Amino acid sequence: MSIGRVGHMGAVAVAAVAVVTLIFEAWIGPFPVELFRFPLNVLTMALWLLALGYLYRNRTTSTTAQLLLSREATYLSLFILATTGIALGLELRPSTDAWPVVIGLLFVLSHTVLVVLRGWRNSNGIRWRFTITHLGLLLALGAGFWGAPDREQLRVAATSEPTNEAFTMSGVLKTLPYDIALADSRIELSATGSPMLYEATIRVEGQNHTLRVNHPYDRTIVEKIYLISFGTTTTGERYAIIEIVREPWQWITASGIVMLIAGAVLLFARGPRRKYNDDNQ
Amino acid sequence: MAGWNIFPMMAAVVVLLSASGAVVALRCKERSGVAILLSALGIATMATFIALLWLSLERPPLRTMGETRLWYSFFLLIAGLITYARWRYTWIMSFSTLLATVFIIINIARPEIHDQTLMPALQSVWFVPHVAIYMFSYALLGCATLLAVVALVRPALQLDHAIERLLYGGLAFLTIGMLTGALWAKDAWGAYWSWDAKEAWAVATWSLYLLALHASPSIMAYRRKVLYYGVIIAGFLALQMCWYGVNYLPSAAESAHTYNRE
Repeated sequence: MSIGRVGHMGAVAVAAVAVVTLIFEAWIGPFPVELFRFPLNVLTMALWLLALGYLYRNRTTSTTAQLLLSREATYLSLFILATTGIALGLELRPSTDAWPVVIGLLFVLSHTVLVVLRGWRNSNGIRWRFTITHLGLLLALGAGFWGAPDREQLRVAATSEPTNEAFTMSGVLKTLPYDIALADSRIELSATGSPMLYEATIRVEGQNHTLRVNHPYDRTIVEKIYLISFGTTTTGERYAIIEIVREPWQWITASGIVMLIAGAVLLFARGPRRKYNDDNQ
Repeated sequence: MAGWNIFPMMAAVVVLLSASGAVVALRCKERSGVAILLSALGIATMATFIALLWLSLERPPLRTMGETRLWYSFFLLIAGLITYARWRYTWIMSFSTLLATVFIIINIARPEIHDQTLMPALQSVWFVPHVAIYMFSYALLGCATLLAVVALVRPALQLDHAIERLLYGGLAFLTIGMLTGALWAKDAWGAYWSWDAKEAWAVATWSLYLLALHASPSIMAYRRKVLYYGVIIAGFLALQMCWYGVNYLPSAAESAHTYNRE
């Protein structure tokens, strides 16, 4: 099949998918992220990876694989990321669970997986800069994408009385497996009256922990407890708003970010691959 | 301790030295040591002022818009000097000095509050690297954009090598700046990425520059090169939105990035 014909088919496919996602968005509302909690997200991800592996094995005969591995697919992936950023930045659709965004990101991830499979090594050996940057992007973006349904964000109004009642961001009551109580809180102001320090000491599982902005308490490897704000109720009782974030995929995201930073250092150190006449000046 | 009050005087010295360096560079056909020395002295003067301001404020001067403009002018002069010293474009320092001067004048015309307060959200080990690296990337990408504009107007000039090198350097620092911000955000707000307006524009900027980086200017026909230069310029416009343009959007009031709006 000629490249021109493949390109035309790709353009038609992209346009069709874009229209379908817009119809879905208008018809059934945002993508049902909540449905894909563990283990359904892991199962779906495994099937997706298997499908991509199958496509890659048949890349010489499969038109879909050729389209997904084309240079145009790279341009389209980056165009999707850029337009997503612009649309969200302009608040045209202030949500990341819109169907076009979800399907667009799935396309970007699918393209990146296939590109990594194809390009991680060549006849000279492993392509470190390419592999680190693309695998880092895959891990950071992929963990954010597939792990989003498992992320929990709960808020607790902690007072001197221990409580295990927490609320989701949509106001649903949840019961924590432990109690939280506010032991102490402190604000330091500068001479101009601006806040210099917010600090609260909370009691969790029989131990005191001090929370400040930028200094959460790591309760477990996947759970951090943050100080959001504090104040005094009408009855004069002090309270602190505490946020509990459970993010099982956070270390995969962090690994991806570290790999991307290492890749960026290599990008700067090695520069473009292409040689110009003035390279040896 | 000398602080913001001596800025106009120091700025005059910086502009005088840098402009003299740029003029000498313009008049010489080859790379001029005098031009490099004069520009380096201008940069050293700016560095001295930033150090004095840092000492007088007792915090890194990276908080307000005015302070980030200060770093941007500083890094623009450095990026211009590096580009001149490496690729010998005699006119590049005129552009970078002019652009740096514009930002210096804005800072003189719009003096902002520069008190010692460093709000709790900014008291983090990530604060200085995140902002300084970002500002350096903005300067490199600013120079790449200047070259892209010149390349559009004067296609006969061979600027692709310099544009691509600046793009690689600028994008590398942009990536590091963005990701140090993500690591900081996890500690501060519990999420690496929240897609608020500033973060959304950061992704748009990064993606546009990545788009340019994945193109190959050395093998392009001129018609496609126009698109390549256009993407670089679009990236720079998105960068302006990310830096300060978001402050004028309705969502700015709810943004977590409110600390630099003074």
